[in-house]
Amino acid sequence: MSSIDEKDIHSFVDAVSVYFHQITGEKAEIKAAYLVEGGVSATTFDLTGYISFSGSFSGRVYFSASRAMVSHLLLMMKESNHAEEQLLDAVGEVANTIAGNARKHFGSAMEISVPVTAVTPDNWLDTVVSPRSYVIMVKWKRYKASVVVDIRHE
Amino acid sequence: MTEANNRHSVFVRYRKIIFAVILFVVADSLVIGINFYSTFKANESAVSINLSGRQRMLSQRTTKVLLLLQRSVNTNDEAGVERNLKELDLAVNLFDTTLKGFRDGDTVTGGDGSKVFLTQVDTDISRKIVEDAYVIWNPYLERLRPLLGNNRNFTTAQLEAVVSYAQDNNLEVLRLMNDLTSDLELVANNRARFLRIILILGVFVALGNFSYTVIVSIRDLMKSDEQITKAQEETAEILLTVHEGLFLLDKDGKLGTQFSASLPRMLGRAIQPGVDFIAILREMVPANVFEAATDYIELLLGDRVKESLVTSLNPLTNVPIRVLDRAGAETEHHLSFSFNRVMSGDKISHLLVTVQDVTEQVSLMQRLEQAKKQSKTEVEALLRLLGGDFESLRQFIANVERALSEINRELSATQNDGEQNSHTLANIMRIVHGVKGEAAALGVDVLENYAHECEKEMVAMRESEEGVTGDHMVRISVLLEGFYERYSSLAEIVERFGAALGKTNPDGVRRESARIGKTEQPAVVQQITSLAQRIAKDQDKQVEVFCQLDRLSTLPAHIAQELQSISIQLLRNALTHGIETPAERSALQKPEKGTVQIWCENHGNAQYDFAVRDDGRGIVPKRLRAHLVKSGKMSEEEVAQLRDEEVASLLFHSGFSTATAANRDAGHGIGLDIVLAKVKGINGRLLVRSRPDRYTEFRIEFNIAARGQDEAVDR
Repeated sequence: MSSIDEKDIHSFVDAVSVYFHQITGEKAEIKAAYLVEGGVSATTFDLTGYISFSGSFSGRVYFSASRAMVSHLLLMMKESNHAEEQLLDAVGEVANTIAGNARKHFGSAMEISVPVTAVTPDNWLDTVVSPRSYVIMVKWKRYKASVVVDIRHE
Repeated sequence: MTEANNRHSVFVRYRKIIFAVILFVVADSLVIGINFYSTFKANESAVSINLSGRQRMLSQRTTKVLLLLQRSVNTNDEAGVERNLKELDLAVNLFDTTLKGFRDGDTVTGGDGSKVFLTQVDTDISRKIVEDAYVIWNPYLERLRPLLGNNRNFTTAQLEAVVSYAQDNNLEVLRLMNDLTSDLELVANNRARFLRIILILGVFVALGNFSYTVIVSIRDLMKSDEQITKAQEETAEILLTVHEGLFLLDKDGKLGTQFSASLPRMLGRAIQPGVDFIAILREMVPANVFEAATDYIELLLGDRVKESLVTSLNPLTNVPIRVLDRAGAETEHHLSFSFNRVMSGDKISHLLVTVQDVTEQVSLMQRLEQAKKQSKTEVEALLRLLGGDFESLRQFIANVERALSEINRELSATQNDGEQNSHTLANIMRIVHGVKGEAAALGVDVLENYAHECEKEMVAMRESEEGVTGDHMVRISVLLEGFYERYSSLAEIVERFGAALGKTNPDGVRRESARIGKTEQPAVVQQITSLAQRIAKDQDKQVEVFCQLDRLSTLPAHIAQELQSISIQLLRNALTHGIETPAERSALQKPEKGTVQIWCENHGNAQYDFAVRDDGRGIVPKRLRAHLVKSGKMSEEEVAQLRDEEVASLLFHSGFSTATAANRDAGHGIGLDIVLAKVKGINGRLLVRSRPDRYTEFRIEFNIAARGQDEAVDR
């Protein structure tokens, strides 16, 4: 991992924070920030959405959250259907918001994929992210979620 | 040469119009000339026609007067004879001279009695008529001669002969004169017709010429307009497409009417034609750069210096400016402005200004600088290896790795509540400070400097009004990543060169040194001595360090390491806070060169002392109290309530420093709290003794047996 700074990281995290604020009126706040290194692992939750980058930077940005958190989010959106498909759609929507913000931040030098979502087992992120990826833990209400930034300059 | 070319160019450009004008002048001159000539000829014809008409009248008048004369003679009317002779003379004379004029061309008496020039007849018909007239007129005139000149001595026979001749030829003469008049009229009519044709032709030529001129002019104008439009379109296209900011600057510092589309984006503001560029510049750059820039522009607009000679004076290169990007976020760009004179003849009319966004180049230069630093790290490491200090370096690498992991664990464990964040930050600062100390001892500048930069940022976080926030945590993670990057480079180079020098561990895996052996002690001493000299030099002080550290080799490795780390921290403190400047020491009648002693003693039964002592200012509670009040950490009342020991113990609190300004060796309030933590880590006891302006001694008492027999044996 190299060559991205906190402005780049904030462009992803702020997207999450603003998304929650717009939908629920309550921001998701940063609780911790660290690296996947030295035995410290990324935190994987039940549902993960990610977008892939190519161009001047390449890699992925992940948003991982618990079912409880996403269900609560759907509740706030007055969505009564909390089937797994709906939950994954909601996670994909957050990932899509991250992509939108990244387009604004990085401009046309970056190509950004459509969001991919998955139900993720424990420690799944540790198996896919590069060493020294950034993990930003955010908290909304009583729930925690992780934004993992695994991007490097080409 | 240029002037000749210009003339040629003007002629080529306007040749059609010039040709049209010449044609107009020639054609009109021709028409006017013909007109003049024809008018002249018409005038001549009028005289001829008039006089030929008079000849008809004179022929009849002569016959009439002859008949009247005969009657007057027959009636003896003397007065009638007299009158008729006189009239006869006049008529005959006029007829004769006029006829002669028709034949030869001559000045004759005109109809109004004035003299006019009668042109010789010039047609065959007229000439024949005149000849025929003379055939009749000559005998006629011979018969008339006795009656002319008022001569009354003519005979009746002579009179009757001439009357008879007149009667016989009167009609023929009249016919001839009629014919002459008709022919002259015909000639005049022909001339008039010719003149009309010429005039009509002239009008047509003039109209044609006018039409040609108009068409050519319109076509040239249209062509010229088309070229201008095309040129304008091309200019507009260039200005729309070009990445650089382009514009003309006039002598009043105003922008021209046209500029490239990229200019407003590059300058981060809306630009109107004719706007005051100097005013924009004033807002964009610092005052000193603005002043230099206006001087430079003024110099270029003047004609006293050559453009090429002052190019290097341009202060507007790599100018950092803040602009709003498309997302509305403020970003920093670097712009370079270049100025070129635009000449009109031999005068400077404008400056052509080219603005380039050199952000990428600046970024590349920064990366290059980073790469250079990287190389420096590698060279430093290589030099250490070549200097035989391989184990210390390897130990350092292992320590740094452990420290960074520890920082990361601290970060990952935070829950972002204010107090815990402050605690996490304090822990991280302690770890970073420790790394800085070790890096300084080994002379690994790149890590020492980076740790120092991190410390500065973290001090600002610690002292920020909003406390330590989540954003700060993100920043620390980025700083940690920077640390990892530098650490990785160093670790890689140590391993690579270590392998090349045959110093790889037998198992090929990097691991901590088991112990600090006897052969390594000089290296420790050397590190301490070298660090002391470096700090002393930085602070304009003089110092001599005395080390007695043989005992370190008998200690377990982790204790020896901690003591080494403690010694470095206490050495930095001693040099920054304890040892005075040579001038201060002289004033206190102390040697200019201060001393620092570091030693380790064994008192038997696994009981050891480790001490660092300096002969500097000492710890003076009075000064500490004053500092606490001055720095706003405590009120005078609060300070007054503390005992001296309590005041001195504040030195071991995180964030406390008596240094007046922070530098890379002290002043951030991190140091003694680390020492205290490390002493606790080895189950030791820290004692501090001091006398004002005499000495300060930190003594650590510890027992290695307390940590377990097996470990001691192993070491």
